Amino acid sequence: MNVSILAGATTKFGELWSASPRRMVREVVDLVRAQSGLSLAKIDGIFVGNMLSSSLGNQDHLGAFFAEELGLNVPAVKVEAACASGGMAVHLAFLSVLSGRYKNVLVIGIEKMTDFKPETVNNALMGAGSDPEREAGATFPALYALIARAHMEKYGTREKEMAQVSVKNHYHASLNSHAQFTRLITLEDVLKSPLVASPLKILDCSPLTDGAAALILSSANDKKGVSFVASAVATDTLGLSQRQDLTSLKAARLASRQAYTQAKVTPNDIDVAEVHDCFTIAEIIAMEDLGFFKKGEAAAAIFAKKTWLGSGRPVVNTSGGLKAAGHPVGATGVKQVVEIFNQLTAKAGKKQVKNARIGLTHNVGGSGATCVIHILKRN
Amino acid sequence: MTANIGILSYGIYIPYYRLKTAEIAHVWGKKSEDITSSLGISEKSVAAFDEDSVTLAFEAASDALIRGNISPSDIQAILVGSESHPYAVNPTSTIVGEFLGVSSKYLAMDLEFACKAGTSAMIAVAGLISSKLIKTGLIIGSDCAQAKPHDILEYSASSAACAYILSDNSSDNLAQILEVTSVSSDTPDFWRRDGVRFPSHGGRFTGEPAYFHHVELAARYLLEKSGLKPSDFKYCVFHMPNGKFPRLVAKRLGFTESQQRPSLIVDSIGNPYSASSLLGLSAVLDIAQKGDLVFVVSYGSGAGSDGLVIKVNKNPLKSARNFNLRVLQKKYISYIDYLKFATRI
Amino acid sequence: MLSPVKIWRNQKKIRSLLNKNGEILSFTKVYVPPAGFEAQAPYVVAVAKLDDKTRIIAQLVEWEDQDLKIGKKVHTILRRTKDPGIEGIIPYGIKLKPLD
Repeated sequence: MNVSILAGATTKFGELWSASPRRMVREVVDLVRAQSGLSLAKIDGIFVGNMLSSSLGNQDHLGAFFAEELGLNVPAVKVEAACASGGMAVHLAFLSVLSGRYKNVLVIGIEKMTDFKPETVNNALMGAGSDPEREAGATFPALYALIARAHMEKYGTREKEMAQVSVKNHYHASLNSHAQFTRLITLEDVLKSPLVASPLKILDCSPLTDGAAALILSSANDKKGVSFVASAVATDTLGLSQRQDLTSLKAARLASRQAYTQAKVTPNDIDVAEVHDCFTIAEIIAMEDLGFFKKGEAAAAIFAKKTWLGSGRPVVNTSGGLKAAGHPVGATGVKQVVEIFNQLTAKAGKKQVKNARIGLTHNVGGSGATCVIHILKRN
Repeated sequence: MTANIGILSYGIYIPYYRLKTAEIAHVWGKKSEDITSSLGISEKSVAAFDEDSVTLAFEAASDALIRGNISPSDIQAILVGSESHPYAVNPTSTIVGEFLGVSSKYLAMDLEFACKAGTSAMIAVAGLISSKLIKTGLIIGSDCAQAKPHDILEYSASSAACAYILSDNSSDNLAQILEVTSVSSDTPDFWRRDGVRFPSHGGRFTGEPAYFHHVELAARYLLEKSGLKPSDFKYCVFHMPNGKFPRLVAKRLGFTESQQRPSLIVDSIGNPYSASSLLGLSAVLDIAQKGDLVFVVSYGSGAGSDGLVIKVNKNPLKSARNFNLRVLQKKYISYIDYLKFATRI
Repeated sequence: MLSPVKIWRNQKKIRSLLNKNGEILSFTKVYVPPAGFEAQAPYVVAVAKLDDKTRIIAQLVEWEDQDLKIGKKVHTILRRTKDPGIEGIIPYGIKLKPLD
């Protein structure tokens, strides 16, 4: 049985001071309802991807919260896997449709990150890591900085190669009306920006963002649409220090291998991909973990524009990625699928990759403890 | 007196950072030579923002266990003397005991008597061993001293810890405690009220009526009780609130410069309060030979002095852990860093 | 306020990691601290492999620039870790110090 995507939409991502989570979700659900032509009465279940509602907003029970907001009595549940909450919500929604039990399922990804000052939010985000990491004051940038330094030591990756990821994603985002940052930046801009956790500078890091995204998944046969050919998840140690190799995410390697097997494709078949560039080094490592480039070769390839719109294949992060489109944590994994859906249905506007037929999303939780991979194909 | 009670091992811990007298003087518009000549202190040890009397005590005690190759399960008492215990209620001694891995069968006690809490702990444990209530006990003098900005104490109040493991094992003990005295009175020369951050003092009152009176009283009492003269001793150790007082009191009592010189830890780290006399003694034990007698008199404001006669039973082992080598592992900080560190987490 | 029960439960684990030698696998200097760590910044966080093959993540203290390299030998020590506020139980934990 095929699980298809009937519709996908996102809000604008950014510092949305007057937008409450309810408002953002209503907006995005209205959009997918209109796109799909499906009335909400046909929705059999709701999966909500979100990380911080409890630690920042004191709100648990998010499934019921949004079911009420949408005026529905269907099964609804919050799915949390740190920054992979969105991707995980999509995965569970996919499984629920695949089981045959639900026919049409709504996936929502939602995060509100600007209600508190950054120090408080960064503290809450450390909930994605381990207790020793929290005790050491290891923020997310610090964890990926540790990964970056290990990668630089082992493969000679340079700071300007990491910076180039940011330059690329800002360029793509400049073509994305929903992105948080639409200005172009240069390598110099990145290299001169203030240090956050050495060697990562502020322009190597994704921002704090508000935003929502939604998808409708269905078992209804949709010949013009897009369906899932793979949905795979793997987990690895919660804490970075327990990993065997600091320069690769085992969860990403395991999940992607499973996904390629499920989809019966190889990395070569992927036209367009949304990967988890929470920090520039993360995109470099993703390209290696996903098998697009050999270990230690992705940095140079990205620097040589091998994954840029217009010159590369696969084209990576046409949305602008997490860095430039923004990273509303729980929404990102859903937004990635929306972007690929738009690419495969030729609705990506100025950032359209020509003839995109097969797309991949790579969503990571924490410093790599969870990885969710989806592969979508144009029907 | 007390047969077969002595020092089985000892350990020290000195924080890494140093603040120079010159640096402090400059902040307050004073001439650093004026301070160094009147106080006899040129730099002091400063604990980092993440250190406190517990962590210092732990490191010194670990050092003592390692140096003596002693199992934590042998420890039957832990007494920690400090005037900067992190809690008013919740003992430092049990926190240290837990991290050292001692069993649960031990007596734990926290002491306070200004700068003599460490030597008093030593007397108490010697008493426990003498009465056969225990065979092996750990005492620690540990302080992270604080002083009011611009107060004269700012130049001397420092941080360090020193630990001694005492036992009844005369064949293994490095040194033996031959004689003990103590004198006490109610003399309010230096104090700190509960809940108040910085101590207060009576200025020049801390001199003759306080330090000198009690140290000389305890010293004379100790000489009388032991039937010894200053020339019988190879070394002497006096509490060091600054560089001047201990030198003056030693001279008055008839001790020479060379007897005192190895103990003058104040010259390199200032006054670490409860660890002062204990560290002075450790510096002496680092070099004292078998048969040497050591004269120790501490001082605690409030006030009182403990006196000990110690006889060295073994020649020292040369160790990288000795005071004179450890004290060289240091880094100078600015007054600004000193203020930053004072905001303890 | 941190949970006194959690601090208590954690004691054994801390004890088992004290006084051990190891080496740095990676390190970073944190310039943008999270809430609770403001007064400490900038500070260094390192992943270290101890001689018994245990791996830990902890702050590195009392370092000089030349100590900040992969492979540098380190030693585990006891330090205060998080700010307990004015009335909370003080959490003690593991930090790393470079070995000369």
